[in-house]
Amino acid sequence: MMARKNPTTGRVTAPRPLSQSEREFRALLDAAVDAIIVIDHSGTIEEFNFSAQRMFGYTAEEIVGRNVRDLMPEPYHSEHDGYLQRYRSTGEPRIIGIGREVQAVRKGGSPFPCDLAVGQLRSGTSPRFVGFIRDITRRKEAEEQLRRSEAELRLAQELANLGNYVMHPQGGVPDYFSSQLHRILGVPEGAGQRVSRPDFLSRWVHPADRERVAAAFERMDQGLTPLDIEYRVVLSDGTLKHLHHIAQAVHDADGRLLKHVGTIHDVTDRRHAQDEARQLQDRLTHFARLSTMGEMAAGLAHEINQPLSAIATYAQACQRFLRLPEPEIDEVMAALDQINAQALRAGEVIRRLRNFVKNREVKREPVDCGRMLEDLRTLAETDARLHSVRLRIEAEDDLPTVYADPIQLQQVVLNLVRNAIDAMIEAPEERREVVLQTRRSADGEVEITVADRGSGLAPEATEHLFNPFFTTKAGGTGLGLAISRSIVRAHGGRLWHTPNDECGARFHFTLPVSPAVTGE
Amino acid sequence: MIKEVKPTVFVVDDDAAVRDSLRMLLKSVGLPVEVFESAQEFLDADRDDRPGCLVLDIRMPGMSGLELQVKLNERHSILPIIFITGHGDVPMAVEAMQAGAVDFIQKPFRDQDLLDRINQALDKDAGSRRMLAERNMIRKRLESLTPREREVLDLVVAGKANKVIAGDLNLSQRTVEIHRARVMEKMEAHSLAHLVRMVLEVERPEE
Repeated sequence: MMARKNPTTGRVTAPRPLSQSEREFRALLDAAVDAIIVIDHSGTIEEFNFSAQRMFGYTAEEIVGRNVRDLMPEPYHSEHDGYLQRYRSTGEPRIIGIGREVQAVRKGGSPFPCDLAVGQLRSGTSPRFVGFIRDITRRKEAEEQLRRSEAELRLAQELANLGNYVMHPQGGVPDYFSSQLHRILGVPEGAGQRVSRPDFLSRWVHPADRERVAAAFERMDQGLTPLDIEYRVVLSDGTLKHLHHIAQAVHDADGRLLKHVGTIHDVTDRRHAQDEARQLQDRLTHFARLSTMGEMAAGLAHEINQPLSAIATYAQACQRFLRLPEPEIDEVMAALDQINAQALRAGEVIRRLRNFVKNREVKREPVDCGRMLEDLRTLAETDARLHSVRLRIEAEDDLPTVYADPIQLQQVVLNLVRNAIDAMIEAPEERREVVLQTRRSADGEVEITVADRGSGLAPEATEHLFNPFFTTKAGGTGLGLAISRSIVRAHGGRLWHTPNDECGARFHFTLPVSPAVTGE
Repeated sequence: MIKEVKPTVFVVDDDAAVRDSLRMLLKSVGLPVEVFESAQEFLDADRDDRPGCLVLDIRMPGMSGLELQVKLNERHSILPIIFITGHGDVPMAVEAMQAGAVDFIQKPFRDQDLLDRINQALDKDAGSRRMLAERNMIRKRLESLTPREREVLDLVVAGKANKVIAGDLNLSQRTVEIHRARVMEKMEAHSLAHLVRMVLEVERPEE
């Protein structure tokens, strides 16, 4: 039984008996899931069903007779009387028959979102209004949750510079294309702006990479391999980007292709960083080569001086032979042959030297180790001779080809030979020999060993041997071994050292025979 | 007497072209030449007491030119050495000169410069050898003297008169005169001054 307030006095009056139809009406209201509130033309609450009581936390006794604006937060609380006033004077509905999402206030003041539909009851002289209210807090929370996780995904994609898409095979136009993917590919967001695969291949993918990418798509479509490929794209404004594209085909239980799902990662920055790091490494490597050459300058001058000196002497001998009463033509011819050979020899020294110190792009190619050592021999022997050290080269025949940068390999060998020579400056004459050995190791790699018979490595030195800027030499940069090791590693090999049999040290490095695939 | 051997130019250089060009140059001026590709090969060939001179590369793998010079000095070889040096080898050349090298020449060189140095070295070698031969001859003559004659010689060289020598040795003046004449004859001395010079030549360095 509900208590009722007198609409005019505002005082609670004793309940009057209800008619049959009123009882049925009340039962109907109370059975409704939505909150139902009936107000009169001035906003005074007349009916407040069970659902409304549960929703707002008021009992009917507490709320019936009060103005409905008490259920509203500001500014509606203050303005509601005005709304009713305007409707009464203009007859123009703002909410009636429309419904909207509004905020309501529970007993105690906590607001909550709700859907409100308002109808007008036309009985008697002045209009009354009925409101249907549905608490949408949970729906709003779910919406908020969804919105937040979408925002988070978007942020994550933005931060990672990663976009994703879903594409059904028909038509080749993706069904889903994340915003970050739009941004990566420089496509404005919106319908009709999705990129089809043929379009993508012909208008985005860098011409040099197109064939490779198309082949990878093809393999994925055939279900052979998932797509995992790096390639370049050129945006419509000319920007070049490096993308890492991973995708796979999803099939249904019958093996029919359902869709492709994929992510595209913009790795341009990473690539640039890698490029920069590599350029730095290259510059450092080049610098180390130059400083090696600097250390060897005296020996190299000697090496060029030798053939020049021989040429001069041969020429002078020729003049003398020709001035003899009976010129010795055979001797002159032999000397001229030698002059020719020695001039070529001097040129060859200079060519090798230039090749060695040239600042050039690192290039991997099949390298015959025997030939590489032959090219190196002059430079190494020059240095050995300068320090009265013998250089013995023991190369196994028929060594397999390695895939490497020949100049960088020479740099490593030369660096090890230089160290070996330096280690023997104080050694007695009979021990001053460097042995440079190439052989096929037990596991099929090419192993190059440089052995000296110097004083060996001090235990405290071995610890820091490969650290950059660690050196035991007065004029050393401390880069030689550090760079040698990084070169060998970049070629997929190892560099290490062992003590030599009686005295001195051996430095070894290996090179894999099959094409080495390492990030460099 | 030492039998006459034609002086030879010995060339030691590890560089085949330099070695061969030197051989050809020396041949073109008619000098006998022998070439060696390492210091050890030269030592093994035992040429260091032959007349001639050594043209030696200062830088070689294994035993360097300087190390060969030390070994030759240990063997009391008198073979004059001309070092061939490259650029920037001045400190080594100085060391070589201090160890008794006659000269050094920088590569590349003018042939005449090298030939002049070689001729000087050969002259020096010939001189040294003449001097050595002379000393040997004097020593042989000294060895042919009897102990008494040697005693008389020493006193003569010390500047003593026959009378004083006779007193010192308890001999008659006549006997001293006979010994003295025998000494002059055996030593093939033209004069007293010549005799003194010969004795000083062989004995001074040893004292």
